[in-house]
Amino acid sequence: MSESSQGKDTSGVTLGRFFAQAREGALTGIRCVGCGALAVPPKELCPECGARRWEPVPLSGEGTIASYTVIRVAPRGHAGDAPYAIAAVRLREGVSLLGRVVDVPLEALAVGLPVRFRPIVVKDRPAIAFGPA
Amino acid sequence: MRRVAVIGVGVTQFGRHERTSAELFAEAAADALADAEMPAARVQALYYGNVVGGETEKQLHTGPQAASVLGIPTVPTTRFETACASSHAAFRHAVMEIASGASDVVLVGGAERVLNVPTADSTEYFAYASDASWEQTLGLTFPGVFALVARAHMHKYGTTEEKMAAVAVKNNKHGVLNPKAQFRKEITLDTVLKSPMVADPLKLYDCCPFTDGGAALVLVSEEVARRSRRPIWVLASAAASDWMLIGDKRDLSRVPATERAAAAAYRQAGIGPHDVDVVELHDCFTIAEIVATEGLGLFEPGAGGLAAEKGWTSLGGQIPVNPSGGLKAKGHPIGATGAAQICEVVTQLRGEAGPRQVEGARRGLTHTLGGNTATVLVSLFGRE
Repeated sequence: MSESSQGKDTSGVTLGRFFAQAREGALTGIRCVGCGALAVPPKELCPECGARRWEPVPLSGEGTIASYTVIRVAPRGHAGDAPYAIAAVRLREGVSLLGRVVDVPLEALAVGLPVRFRPIVVKDRPAIAFGPA
Repeated sequence: MRRVAVIGVGVTQFGRHERTSAELFAEAAADALADAEMPAARVQALYYGNVVGGETEKQLHTGPQAASVLGIPTVPTTRFETACASSHAAFRHAVMEIASGASDVVLVGGAERVLNVPTADSTEYFAYASDASWEQTLGLTFPGVFALVARAHMHKYGTTEEKMAAVAVKNNKHGVLNPKAQFRKEITLDTVLKSPMVADPLKLYDCCPFTDGGAALVLVSEEVARRSRRPIWVLASAAASDWMLIGDKRDLSRVPATERAAAAAYRQAGIGPHDVDVVELHDCFTIAEIVATEGLGLFEPGAGGLAAEKGWTSLGGQIPVNPSGGLKAKGHPIGATGAAQICEVVTQLRGEAGPRQVEGARRGLTHTLGGNTATVLVSLFGRE
């Protein structure tokens, strides 16, 4: 907890910057300088040790599907995309990200399937997707 | 802390309404006050749940609006929003207001109006309860959230689509016995399994409906309760939260907030899961009931589906779950749901549930989940 007095978040990985970098193909996590815990930005305090100092860490984008679904009844704004797959992907580094799954046949989706990050833009906004490893 | 009791309950018909959410709440609240034989002038505060009023009715500040329509405009009113758990969160805070000695008579309730907009719009508005940057951008829906839970549960425990469907069949069967329910029709396993896919593996009949409705209850201190005809005591009310992002949740086959809220509630009440006779829990999707029965400690992890399939959670079973028909058949007016669940358990513990009565029920539990499993409330009730 003493870490919290040592200064503000130093990672510089705001939500906006994370997605700006993701759009360029780079995934950036944050690592707690106090205890080494890896997290997905943005976070102010480390949920493990309470420290307030982070450093940016490049993520490989390689992982496996932990769970998945195919959205067939979509929200108004995404209705034109349906059906589309969404998966929770556990990255090699240990953090998980939710993303669309692209270029994988819907019937080939499976828990444990290796996938790799790729950037997409949905309705003019950068978003996370995964394609075949 | 002072003891707190529920002495009046009121629930509107669930389904499609042509009235505003404030009007629906007012009907339920007036019924609850009449049931409690409590003059409106004695109400000292209103704790109110409403979720998508800003979207479906272009209405914020819904608390004072609801109080005004009821006819108690000068009562201090606060609106709670914890997604689908909103009026249960309102309830917990009202319990604390009375337990602390600040008030003796508090009105709690909620209402929602969603069937006045098309399904694609309500689907979008409900999705606002997931993260805007990480999840809404992907087109994640609430069936999608619970589909991820279902797939993880299937992978870990071998839960089948048939076991999930058994929950829908059971709750629809219960709903037939509830005159306030949105759906009062039995369905077969085949109907569920052959219904259109919404978010694999969840099909239309795995999902609760969109619903308009209101619910309310009168909460009082022990001193006031002692002068009422049939008080039902609040034994515990606990809340828990969890990571907002699906990606930050470590094991999608579980809902840790349910486990934490349940543990806290059992500790407060000094009882365990096997001391409970009747349960109203958050079956927004069939898999949600399975995971909730496990998280509440009613069954071992992985055994929730079997419990539904074997009839252990049916009326007449070892622990009846959702005798009202649950969100699945009774309906899910999201801002009203937590209060409506409490109204059902109070009715059960009074022994006034008619054909859906759980015989001899002495203690009851309500469980309400908000959003992408990031909010859970659990409360316990007793006849003594």
